Order: sequence, then structure tokens, then C-alpha cells
Amino acid sequence: MQLADLVISAARSRADAPAVIGPDGALTYGELDALANRLARALARRGVVAGDRVGLWLEKSGRGVAAMQACLRLGAVYVPLDPLSPAARVAGILGDCTVRCVVTTEARRAALAAADAPAELAVLHVDSDWHEVLRESADSLPPPARGPDDLAYILYTSGSTGKPKGVCISHRNALAFVEWAAEAIAADSQDRFANHAPFHFDLSVLDLYVAFLAGAAVALVPEGLSYAPRRLVEFVREHAISVWYSVPSALALMMEVGELSAAAAPTLRAILFAGEPFPIKPLRRLRAGFPAARLFNLYGPTETNVCTYHEVTTLADDRSAPVPIGRACSGDEVWAVRADGERAGPGEEGELIVAGPTVMLGYWGQPPQRGPYATGDIVRGDDAGEYTYIGRRDHMVKIRGHRVELGDIEAALLQHPDIREVAVAVRGAGIDARLHAFVVAPPPAELSLLGLKRHCAERLPRYMIVDDFTPVTALPRTGNGKVDRLALARLAAASSSTSGEQP
Amino acid sequence: MSNSPATHDIEQALKQYVAREILDGKDIGLDADTPLLEWGVINSLEIARLLGFVREQFGVVVPLESVTAEHFKDLRALTGLVASLKG
Repeated sequence: MQLADLVISAARSRADAPAVIGPDGALTYGELDALANRLARALARRGVVAGDRVGLWLEKSGRGVAAMQACLRLGAVYVPLDPLSPAARVAGILGDCTVRCVVTTEARRAALAAADAPAELAVLHVDSDWHEVLRESADSLPPPARGPDDLAYILYTSGSTGKPKGVCISHRNALAFVEWAAEAIAADSQDRFANHAPFHFDLSVLDLYVAFLAGAAVALVPEGLSYAPRRLVEFVREHAISVWYSVPSALALMMEVGELSAAAAPTLRAILFAGEPFPIKPLRRLRAGFPAARLFNLYGPTETNVCTYHEVTTLADDRSAPVPIGRACSGDEVWAVRADGERAGPGEEGELIVAGPTVMLGYWGQPPQRGPYATGDIVRGDDAGEYTYIGRRDHMVKIRGHRVELGDIEAALLQHPDIREVAVAVRGAGIDARLHAFVVAPPPAELSLLGLKRHCAERLPRYMIVDDFTPVTALPRTGNGKVDRLALARLAAASSSTSGEQP
Repeated sequence: MSNSPATHDIEQALKQYVAREILDGKDIGLDADTPLLEWGVINSLEIARLLGFVREQFGVVVPLESVTAEHFKDLRALTGLVASLKG
């Protein structure tokens, strides 16, 4: 079975049922199926064959979903790209995995050309080429000669050296998670999924493919709605959403600013969250606000999709500990390994290790991942076999669910002509998490926060733009000369910023 | 939008707010066309606070359907929105 088969089979049994509701209109399964076939032919005309990578750089839309399906139908590999990332970073990714073709708009193509994207790149414009796409045949294509262990898509994440890493996911990887999730939440064809996460973020895999497996509809949340959490709550009500999946910080904002509750969103029956720990107070509010809905905490780095889960049933009023990330799922096995290399027992801390069908093939351009994947996350197991997240063993942080390597930001800041040394620390957590840069910029340089933000915006995704900075004469260092991260974290926490407070 | 004195005052007040509350107190390089969303100057949390400031300062409640990226992309767009709501 291939990932493409989910839409193909739903189109056979439920051709007239709604499949995707996007800002660009609604598509039934029959329409999505036909559009995917037309787009596949348009891609093939541009030289795309099985195994080729195809970049998708466009706003969230039904056309974008159809383009993913078109790639899969050719046996090609889609690479969803952050629509909010600067063209320079996107061009770097297109070059890294040597894409054959990019699906984008005229305006974005022009930005890519200005950012020195590979010149030989073929382009399918979802605006100016659309008439051509609609002239293609909608007939089914012969299934590609690809197996379950071939690549389906590549998701790029922040890399510690300033170069994004491409996580390679096979059909088997994706389907193992999708099939587990559909069963765990008892997805059925009457469900209505919301897709909140952008397509380059692995949370979107559940929204799209669990909906397709169930023959249900998925409504795409337009990017701009996140600026107004109350409008997100309206979206849930208007589209009668039954399954919501997002980072906790989005849910926290929807409760805080949008008054999300079962009264405001009576159709919500399952709420899932992942990407960062859910602070206990807003989680308790969510539990109380939705007495009848099922709540799931999902866990897993992009490299393993979702590998553990915990269903949040009741929460004691005096509980202050975070809820566990839970036990293994998706057919995976998980365990923790202590610093001395021995397996951690109940109550002991260790690094979480994952083995099983969801573990990625590897990073693009690097040797394949063989055997279990070490997550870098420190956890503690309990007697019942449930794990709780403790922290990271490296400099990766989470900013509103986005995984960020601090080294990636530091590498970008070091390109600033006035900055000699830099270290970035994170302050706060969840919706209050802020990136704080400490910069050594000898006089006469005079840096401004706006100037640094602009510098970051030209090189990094939006969620990696620094929030604050402090000029320092030297970075704090430990005895062996390494940057003292603990001292930086203390400095960041103590910095008297006007903007770090709650509204 | 004509650049009337009233509009100018709105823009200055918004600019001061952004420089003081969101940036480091400096408004070097901050002008009507500075891309606020694109450069990560404001995000959804800051927009919620900014809406509170607009309500207190100008007595204007921005309707939900006007809270769009288009209206918050820069100070010029935001000033235009506030001026039109003040009527």
C-alpha cells in the first residue's frame, strides 16, 4: 500500500463527499482525484518521474493538497516548504535535495530566481499555468513502480550548523502512524478534521491522511487566521470541526483570547496536541472546558513521526506535574537509556530511543538511519511504562511547537558584518517562549532590535527571528572555554524586557 | 488615505507603541512601510496586545473580520484601518 492509495480509494467509494475545504474552495474526493491526475500529467510534462523530488512552495490550499497527491501518483517525492520562509532559505533546500520541479506562484518564483535558486529548475505555477493544468486528462494514471520503503516526502527541520536537515519519510513510515492514529481516535467518514499546522510541519500528516483514510473532510485553516485566535474558534464552529490537532500554544491562545470551550465549539469530539509540553494550567482549563471530548498528548520528533501517546482523562486539581508523553504507539517500541549506556529503569532518567515502522529512512544526503533512533530527549519512565518528558540533551529548543536549533540562528546572526560572536538563549515556554540573542559587537557598531530582526528575516523562517538582544563585551564561558549555556539562560531570564510579560 | 494631521497622529502613536513595547525602545529604521509581520516584529500574541492598545488609545474596537495579515503588515496599513474605524 502507498500513501497515494488513501485518496484514490476514498474517491472510488465516496466520490461526492467533501475531501478538502480550502481558502481556494472545496473539493470532493472525486474532484481531488481528478485534479491530482491532471497535476500529475502537468508535472510529468516538466520531466518529473518516479523518485524525483518536487518542491511545494505555496500558501495552504486545495491546489497544494492536490499537488502532493500528484507527486505521489508519479512515485515522486514531495518537499513541502514553509510559505513564510525567505526565498534564500527555500532556494538552499531546493538545491540540497536537488528538486526537479517546484510548484509555486509567479511571485514566489521571481523571489526564488532573485535568491539564486538552481537555474535548471522546472516550475509549475499554480496561478499562471492553471489553465494548462485543467486541459490535462483527469483519467487515472498507472500506479508507479514504487514500494512501501521508497520515499514519500521530505520534511526540512532546523539544523544545528545553520543548514536545514531533510527528514526522509517513506510510505511505510507515514502509513504506520496514520493507521494507528485513525484507530486511536476512531476516525470515521462523518468526522471533520481541521488542518492547523502548515504542510511542512509533521502535524499536518495526521490532519490530511487520517481524514483521507476515513473518507472524511479536512478544512484547511488559512495562515492569516492565527493572528486572531477568536477567528480560529469561529473557524472550528463554522466548519463543525470534530477533530482538532495543533501545538499546545495555539490551543492556549484560543482559550485565552478566543474563549474556546465546548459551548463555543460543540462539535469538537477529539483534541490532539504535540510539539511541546502543554503547561498544566491551560491543560486543566481545556479538560474542564471540554468534559466530553477525548484529549490526546502525542509525542515524536519529525524523525519518528508520532511514537508515543497519552490520553488525558482526568486531571487532579492539585496536579502540578506535566502530563506524560505516554507509551509507544504506531507499532513502535520505545525505551530510555541512561548516560552510562544502560537501560533506564522506572523512575530513572534517560534518553528516549525509538525503534519501529515510523523511524525515518534517514536525512537527505546522509547515510541511512539504521536501527533505533536516539531522540535527544531526556525522559523518565514510571512503573506503568509511561514516559514523561524532562528536557533536551542538546541546544534544540521548541518555539511554539517549532523545533529550533539555536546554532541555526547563531549561524545566521554571525553573517551580520558587525557581530563578532553570538549566542542565543530561550526564555519562557509555550506561548511566552522568546529567543534572546547575546551579541558581541565591538564599537562603533550600534545594533538595533529591528535591524537584527530584519537580518534574521532575510535568512530564517519567521519563528526563528530573535525577540530580544543584549550587547555584551564577551560571552560567558565555562572553565573549558565553551559558551556557558546555563549562565546565558539565567541572564535571559533576568533581562528586564518590556515585552516578555503576559498581555 | 489622505495624510491628514489626524492620520499622522495615529501613525505616530502606533509607532511609539511598537518601538517602546515590542522593540528595544529605538525606532531607528521603523517607518510606515517596515514589514511588521515579515520581520517578526509582531506575532499573534502581540497583535492581541496591540488591539488592546488601539481600543484604549483611540476608542476603536477592531472587528474580528478586520484582524487580517493585510491590515497588520505595516504601520501604514494599520493606521489606515484605525483611521477608517474612527470615521
